[in-house]
Amino acid sequence: MTNAHHATIVEEIATILANVQHPGDQFVMRVHAPKIAQKALPGQFVHIQVSPERPMRRPISIMLTNPEQGTVDLLIKAIGEGTERLRQRKVDEQLPMMGPIGHPFDLADPSKRYILIGGGVGIPPMIFVADHLQGQAETILFAGSEVPFPFALKPSTFLLPGIDSSVKMTIASLESRDIPCRLASKANMHGCFDGYVADLARSYLQALPQEERQRCVLLSCGPHPMLQSVAKLAHDLNIPAQLSLEEHMACAIGGCAGCVVETLEQGKRYYRRICVDGPVFDLNILPEFAA
Amino acid sequence: MMTAPLFEPTSPDLSTTFAGLTLQTPLVLLSGCVGFGDEYTRIEGYSHAHVGAVILKGTTLEPRMGNKPHRVYETPSGMLNAIGLQNPGARYVIDEILPKLPHDQTQFWANANGSSLDEYAEVARIFDDSPVTAIEINISCPNVKEGGVHFGNDPCMAAKVVAAMRAATSKPLITKLSPNNADIAETARLCIEAGSDGLSVINTLVGMAIDIEQRTPVIGNISGGLSGPAVKPVALWKIHQTRAIAQKHNIPILGQGGLTTPKDAIEFALVGSQALGLGTGLFYDPLLCGKVLKGLRDYMVRHDIARYEDLVGMLQQP
Ligand SMILES: Cc1cc2nc3c(=O)[nH]c(=O)nc-3n(C[C@H](O)[C@H](O)[C@H](O)COP(=O)(O)OP(=O)(O)OC[C@H]3O[C@@H](n4cnc5c(N)ncnc54)[C@H](O)[C@@H]3O)c2cc1C
Ligand SMILES: Cc1cc2nc3c(=O)[nH]c(=O)nc-3n(C[C@H](O)[C@H](O)[C@H](O)COP(=O)(O)O)c2cc1C
Ligand code: FES
Repeated sequence: MTNAHHATIVEEIATILANVQHPGDQFVMRVHAPKIAQKALPGQFVHIQVSPERPMRRPISIMLTNPEQGTVDLLIKAIGEGTERLRQRKVDEQLPMMGPIGHPFDLADPSKRYILIGGGVGIPPMIFVADHLQGQAETILFAGSEVPFPFALKPSTFLLPGIDSSVKMTIASLESRDIPCRLASKANMHGCFDGYVADLARSYLQALPQEERQRCVLLSCGPHPMLQSVAKLAHDLNIPAQLSLEEHMACAIGGCAGCVVETLEQGKRYYRRICVDGPVFDLNILPEFAA
Repeated sequence: MMTAPLFEPTSPDLSTTFAGLTLQTPLVLLSGCVGFGDEYTRIEGYSHAHVGAVILKGTTLEPRMGNKPHRVYETPSGMLNAIGLQNPGARYVIDEILPKLPHDQTQFWANANGSSLDEYAEVARIFDDSPVTAIEINISCPNVKEGGVHFGNDPCMAAKVVAAMRAATSKPLITKLSPNNADIAETARLCIEAGSDGLSVINTLVGMAIDIEQRTPVIGNISGGLSGPAVKPVALWKIHQTRAIAQKHNIPILGQGGLTTPKDAIEFALVGSQALGLGTGLFYDPLLCGKVLKGLRDYMVRHDIARYEDLVGMLQQP
């Protein structure tokens, strides 16, 4: 007897190919993990043993994969002992890593316009969605950060309704692939919207004609206050939203119920596991983000 | 999917008997770490053929939501958890979960919990008529306000729970002992006399962790159960203390608490574990079972030990 989820996750000993440090304790790591690279979908994550001294694993979103070369890219911020140890890992070292894990974003409807809103280390899954949807469905990314963006930036040539022409900076790799994007920061960054990323997305959405707005779906990942603003935006404009959530994890395979979020489904309260029932949840079932 | 035979026919016999049951290997996946039996099949390379039994998450009569997050946190050489016995209730486990498990590949055991003697007995009665081959009694859960560890810390209450369940089921009963017991051997004796067929030694120790930035306890429940390598020396000592009384009554011990390497498994066997529990170790390495079995086999070949059961309790005086 086998279930649909049987053998969907692989354990790989990944090799670090690059670990590039960025301001604000951020680092972008590229690893060779060919099986995970082959299978991963946007919204899924890997569970990494950062060092043998801290053997409990840390969940990290997949930012991009290259299935041909077998690589997986991650963007991480060192915020505690585990992520700090990971930051210090060197090229050619090995990392035990299981993945891809979790319920990905629902991107099935090509007639939708997907509005991606990422904050800080919630940006990586949004990059993966944008990459995945390129040429498949309309996609626009809004990213916010209080520390310098760990990407090459350039002025965009796309015009976006509701957004001032001075707000022109975008992520160069997205621009070159014709994916519109705008940035927000409260840290006075040139060419970025001076404010919160959810407000930047709101200006854009409010400027859209009603019938265009009704085709939009919000996808978001980031810090809790940002998700709350995104939820409010979705409620105010009556747009569906999918949120990617975080919680401490132990097994990341559904075994321990350590990683739960409260949901409300058909009038009943549950604690769902973020690792395998999420990390992506429909806004409608999350009481903590209710209108 | 067909699984290749684990070992050559000439390799050591890793089967073990436990409370009247024959386990295909001594490895037992511990309650609370492996959901309701099926979760680890998500990982490529995991095989139920590697394990003697899988113990389901702690189950109560009625469904329980469990505690508010955070529920887990890594601490030096281990972790804290306070799940709060999230489970859908015994009836649901029997009607919806057990029928879907592959009982031909390994055994599944229940983990019974309650906040009264009646509830423990009722859970036992419900599982009595089910395909689980044994019932572990959790009288040592530190993470719920009622019942749990309060039963486990009082040897007479512990024995009363066992007796109540004994009257309600003919399945083998395995009592899970708390390391917080003042005299674990005495509690073991009372539980055996009340009808326990096996002992699980040990459950987690109670601990806490603090977030200095928020100035709050990290765990939503404030305290949590400490597991992993940090508790291994305590586990070995508690098994050692329990071994004499268990042996006297011919009662097996399921040794557990911080077993994360093949070497740990050999230590637990030597001190007297008829079966070996894996919990937190699976979080370190989801493919731990295969590695522990290989390590056990290599050790037994090297020391010319033909049967796992010959290794159990081989500990010499220093
Ligand atoms: C599905 C998922 C995807 C993630 N993706 C990324 C990513 O792409 N990049 C990235 O940098 N981080 C990501 N995270 C967060 C990352 O897992 C945590 O930052 C990390 O586990 C913290 O470990 P630590 O040992 O450094 O911190 P600790 O010392 O354990 O904790 C430091 C602080 O962070 C909090 N914390 C600990 N674990 C988590 C957690 N899992 N989520 C949120 N807060 C936590 C603690 O409560 C504490 O306040 C993701 C988390 C999840 C659940
Ligand atoms: C996340 C988690 C949940 C647990 N839930 C239960 C439970 O429901 N019932 C129970 O008897 N023990 C439970 N335990 C205890 C384990 O079964 C085991 O006895 C303990 O963790 C020690 O072994 P270890 O160090 O190998 O993890 C839990 C442990 C963990 C880590
Ligand atoms: S981390 Fe164990 S169930 Fe999600």
